[in-house]
Amino acid sequence: MMARAAKFLLGPAMRPFTIMACAIVVLGIMDRGHGYFFSIGTVFSVMQLFATVGLVALGLGLSMLVREFDLSVAGIVGLAGCIAVMTGVENPWLGVVFGVGAGVISGVLQGLIMTRLGLSSVGVTLGGLLTLQGITYVLTENKTISYPNMAVALGLNEPVANLLSVRSTAALAIFMLAALVMTYTHIGRDVIATGSDRRASRIAGLNTDRVIIGVFAASGASAALAGVLLSYSLGAASPVALADVLAPAAAAAIVGGVSVVGGRGSPMGIAAGVLTLCILRSGLSAIGVAPHVHDLVTGGILIFIAILDAPDLARRVTTWRLDRAERQTTARRS
Amino acid sequence: MTTRHIVLTIRIITIAAIAIFALTTPGFTSQLSINALLNAISFIGCVAVGMTFITLTGNIMSLCLGATLSASALIFLASLSAGILPAFVLTLLFGIVVTAVQGVLIGYFRANPILVSIAGLSLLIGGADLATGGVRIYPGGEGLQVFKGRVAGIPIEALYFFATVVIGQFILSWTRIGRAMTMVGSNARAATAAGISTAAAVTFAYVIAGACAAVSGILLAARYGSGDMELGAGYDYTAIAAVLVGGTAIQGGSGSVVRTLIGVTVIAIIEVVLLLRGFSQQLQYLITGLIVLSVIMLHTIGERR
Repeated sequence: MMARAAKFLLGPAMRPFTIMACAIVVLGIMDRGHGYFFSIGTVFSVMQLFATVGLVALGLGLSMLVREFDLSVAGIVGLAGCIAVMTGVENPWLGVVFGVGAGVISGVLQGLIMTRLGLSSVGVTLGGLLTLQGITYVLTENKTISYPNMAVALGLNEPVANLLSVRSTAALAIFMLAALVMTYTHIGRDVIATGSDRRASRIAGLNTDRVIIGVFAASGASAALAGVLLSYSLGAASPVALADVLAPAAAAAIVGGVSVVGGRGSPMGIAAGVLTLCILRSGLSAIGVAPHVHDLVTGGILIFIAILDAPDLARRVTTWRLDRAERQTTARRS
Repeated sequence: MTTRHIVLTIRIITIAAIAIFALTTPGFTSQLSINALLNAISFIGCVAVGMTFITLTGNIMSLCLGATLSASALIFLASLSAGILPAFVLTLLFGIVVTAVQGVLIGYFRANPILVSIAGLSLLIGGADLATGGVRIYPGGEGLQVFKGRVAGIPIEALYFFATVVIGQFILSWTRIGRAMTMVGSNARAATAAGISTAAAVTFAYVIAGACAAVSGILLAARYGSGDMELGAGYDYTAIAAVLVGGTAIQGGSGSVVRTLIGVTVIAIIEVVLLLRGFSQQLQYLITGLIVLSVIMLHTIGERR
């Protein structure tokens, strides 16, 4: 019974939520009833963080679902933010359209290069990342660009129902949309099929190239929206400040149960993965521990998940146990 | 003409074009610009050589080498009070241990290399902040001159880098474990069937990567005379770009340290030429990015099956 419960909770579908629940319980205990952790302020800051990292992790996670790895999301966040800030002064929606449009175009272009030429995604999107960064530098002339429309910046961070802001509501809505598409439409099944076994899917009549281009377009759009929302709410965009979003996004997607070998994972899992990392960051600082504890704890959890997920772990442990048992028997005999 | 011939022709034309472009740039052959070039390739080159081994064994890339570099620089500066040689050895050991642990997880348990490297990055940043309190580290002793200055007009950093390249290529082509790494990258199951310990080969590849990052950290620490965790930020991406531009296959199993040397040199030449021709910093970034993208496309077209 216990074993079955553990298997269910640590199984691929439930694990992201189990880890998140564990993080909440542990932080709650560490708070010792002071109410610093279980407070509206903490929830709000967790969701603010979620709005930034979440959409990038969603984009990266989608590309991992089809067994690719979209490094360029880090470049798109910066570029889309700058485009939005430059074009959306009069009408913020125009900035959103241009920013997200740039993300879609970059995703489609990279998808076309990969599928038409049969190239691996790491190489192409690394080149894409460097090129996108270059474009951002040229557009901004290597300076920080401020966004004069302060009403938008304030409006985006305006609390909704005390716990969310307009920005984090938007991010949550995108996650809901992705989850609905992945669960209830044939697109979701096509994506999973392409990620599980691309050749078999192609033989079964699925146009896998189109699926991959579509996934990269969605990944670009999602990362672009993260950049646009962040730059709007900060009231500024700069080419360098956003460069290091890739590592947390990849960590969040993998904690969220997306497998690098493709075909496994879901938007809700990714959301739980992102929330876990955000809860750790905001929660630990809310209960007043030093900032380095957060890095150490995150690193520890990632190592734990990496070992738990390692395909050869069981084999190594079994061999080691058998060896030891054998050695003991021979020792007893002699 | 087969695809291979076409690709080979394009490669020769590309290298010739870069060479002509460089040599016709006024001031490129001056001592000053050559030294700037050598310096530029040395720091990133050591990391790229280390990254080559990780890519070659089929583990894509590490996001942790830049942080290993920074942490090594801190260790080196802090331990200088014990003397230059002990500090050097200690730093090298530190770099090796950091990546060897990752190598064991990836090699023996087949853990996901990207996730393990992100975990390492997180732990290094947290650990460094815990140890230093987030302040800059200054040298605790004398003797940094061994790692900077010039010998016969050549920057010492470049000599260390070339030594790294020679040792790296030697291990890769002339030792059993080095050849095993290439085999593991091209087909892990076939390598296992042939009696090669894939786990040991992968672990050793990470050991070399850590040692290379540590050497780069020492050189950078000596160069700047102080260090913090920002020292190696962004080096992971530049290093993997150099590896791929050199023509090492991203899926592993094909590549060499000399190719990475070529990759690092090509990128550095392009940057120096753009600088000398008066392109703005931002255009330099854009053009370098586009060239990296097209060179990677070119290579993978030639090597796809």
